[in-house]
Amino acid sequence: MVTRRRILAGLAATSLLPSAGWSSVGTPDYLSAARAPDGTYLLAGLTTTGDITFTIPLPARGHAAAAHPERAEAVAFARRPGTFALVMDCRDGAILKTLTAPESRHFYGHGAFSADGKTLFTSENDYEAGEGVIGLWDVHQNYTRIGEFSSGGVGPHDLKRMPDGETLVVANGGIETHPDMGRSKLNIPVMAPNLTYLSTTGALLENISLPAALHKNSIRHLAVRADGLLAFAMQWQGRKSDSQPLLGLHQRGTEAKLLTAPPKAQQQMQGYAGSVALSNDGRLVAITSPRGNVLHTFDTETGQHSAALSAKDVCGIGPTSDGFLFTTGTGIIGTLQSDTAQHTLQWDNHLIAITPQT
Amino acid sequence: MRLLALTASLLLSQPAWALDSAALVDTAIDQHILPGFTALTEATGTLKNTAAQDCASQSPALHAAYHQGFDAWMAVSHLRFGPTEEDERAFSLAFWPDTKGFTPKALAKLITTEDAAALDADAFSEVSIAAHGFFALEFLLFDDRIQTLGSAAYRCTLIQAVTNDIDRNATAILADWQNGYDDLMRTPSENGPYTTELAAVAELFKALDTGLQFNADARLGRPLGTFDKPRPLRAEARRSERSLQNITVSLNALEQLATLLAAQTPTPAQNLTAAFSLALGQASELETDPAFAGVSDIQGRLRVEILQQYIGNIRNIVLQELGPALDVTAGFNALDGD
Repeated sequence: MVTRRRILAGLAATSLLPSAGWSSVGTPDYLSAARAPDGTYLLAGLTTTGDITFTIPLPARGHAAAAHPERAEAVAFARRPGTFALVMDCRDGAILKTLTAPESRHFYGHGAFSADGKTLFTSENDYEAGEGVIGLWDVHQNYTRIGEFSSGGVGPHDLKRMPDGETLVVANGGIETHPDMGRSKLNIPVMAPNLTYLSTTGALLENISLPAALHKNSIRHLAVRADGLLAFAMQWQGRKSDSQPLLGLHQRGTEAKLLTAPPKAQQQMQGYAGSVALSNDGRLVAITSPRGNVLHTFDTETGQHSAALSAKDVCGIGPTSDGFLFTTGTGIIGTLQSDTAQHTLQWDNHLIAITPQT
Repeated sequence: MRLLALTASLLLSQPAWALDSAALVDTAIDQHILPGFTALTEATGTLKNTAAQDCASQSPALHAAYHQGFDAWMAVSHLRFGPTEEDERAFSLAFWPDTKGFTPKALAKLITTEDAAALDADAFSEVSIAAHGFFALEFLLFDDRIQTLGSAAYRCTLIQAVTNDIDRNATAILADWQNGYDDLMRTPSENGPYTTELAAVAELFKALDTGLQFNADARLGRPLGTFDKPRPLRAEARRSERSLQNITVSLNALEQLATLLAAQTPTPAQNLTAAFSLALGQASELETDPAFAGVSDIQGRLRVEILQQYIGNIRNIVLQELGPALDVTAGFNALDGD
């Protein structure tokens, strides 16, 4: 078994380890939202061996979470189009603060902390305008809302802090929704997703769009390597029979590179990548498809498809030293080598690594 | 790296009896899909010919042909897979919701510049998708501003271009169904869009569920807005006062599809019949409010909300009873889609 300490020993960026805060909660390595057998929702801390270190109830279905870089504090976000986010003390499960999206905004389910842990950034929908915004919350003032800026597109979903600590990257999925219409997609024929790099004060630094023929490829999820290589996962909204790339790699100032598996394997993804992760050694990138019940890995250097693994309703995925830990809606936690645990919980979309990725 | 199939993935729930999936697909194609798209091409052919003869925006014959064409589209608008998704045909027929007002903008630009694209079917098929289809035609026939903008001669040409394009798309959809897609659905194959009969059933099931959801969330949810901020001007096709009509026609078509899919499963079938009857009964209660203008007052709003709840009830039966009976339920994450 690969222990967390050995993984960390291999990392250059050990100085970015969470401080005492996180080590006091039974050392979870990941966070994941889940549904319990009784139909209630919760956030759980997980180890690389698939053990649950804590669970904290959520008032409704969660989606993703963000871990504070130092304190044993996490923010669990409501599933889109929810308006709540809970700041929790992961040592005792205490809810420290409930964030409520401002008037005419809702959360998209993802967020990220600044490198110094002072600011929380959240992806939000300005739904009357149909435009994406990034909300800013002051951590040291008990998570007071202190402002917002444009996300650079429509339907921002995942966002990550870049390794330089000064840049944010946002996956603007391009899909317009309105809470009055649930999760109905309102603009598919004219959708235009993009990747946007922003300064932490909202200045637009770089905007990456895919070729026009791929305008229905919604860019949703992100993973970042220590050297700034960005992996982005997509969800195809066009014809089902089209087999489009669902994974891309991007390095600032260069063209994005799109990765596909051989045709038959690519078809199995059913046009849908639910999560993306980069292994801690940076060599592999993986995407999951709960619709195709399959996980694909690729070599980040060559861009070649390296493996496919079948797992029913697989979606959450996070890094281990040389591979990945995945979770499924059927309760399984597994690695590329074996399934390591089976819980009665249904693991929700994302497995969030607490160890800083950048 | 070795491949691994988790044993849990094999523990799929099996229905208690063996379903004849092929029969479900055959009857849905023969009794619902092909007749529906045939009726659509008949109605769009009439619409095109009517506009060719009389393109005045107030023409009663043209209005009647518009409504018949729109009805025929609503009866198949939930069948959003395969032929409707080629070349954006479904969006070309119905660009709605138009949250940023692209349709009036695109039409106004064509009219004020007298864009020559309206003179040529191929060129017109390339103009903004928002200037195509039934919603563009609705603006040209029923919107005060658009139907008086620019020259009457150009608007006439544009009405003919839009109706031609509607008929062209409808005809192309039917042709694809008749010339191959029906076989792809009836006969699953390794390289086709459906690798198993169950996958084809799942496609039909998804069309049923998505159609119900669109009626509840978009067609009703959009005008309902919130209690504090109702949005009657967001009702679908309100200019031609067919917001309610669209839902009624759609629900009737969805009931037909639901009945065909539930043909081998008696309990969901009975519950679906009762639930559709309740929703259609509530829709008839709304006949005095064809464009949902009443969402702004308490009484009117309540009637629309009840209809929305009744459609939600149908959807619950579809997801909780019909889905498991057909063995097509999707997973916790697969269904979530985010």
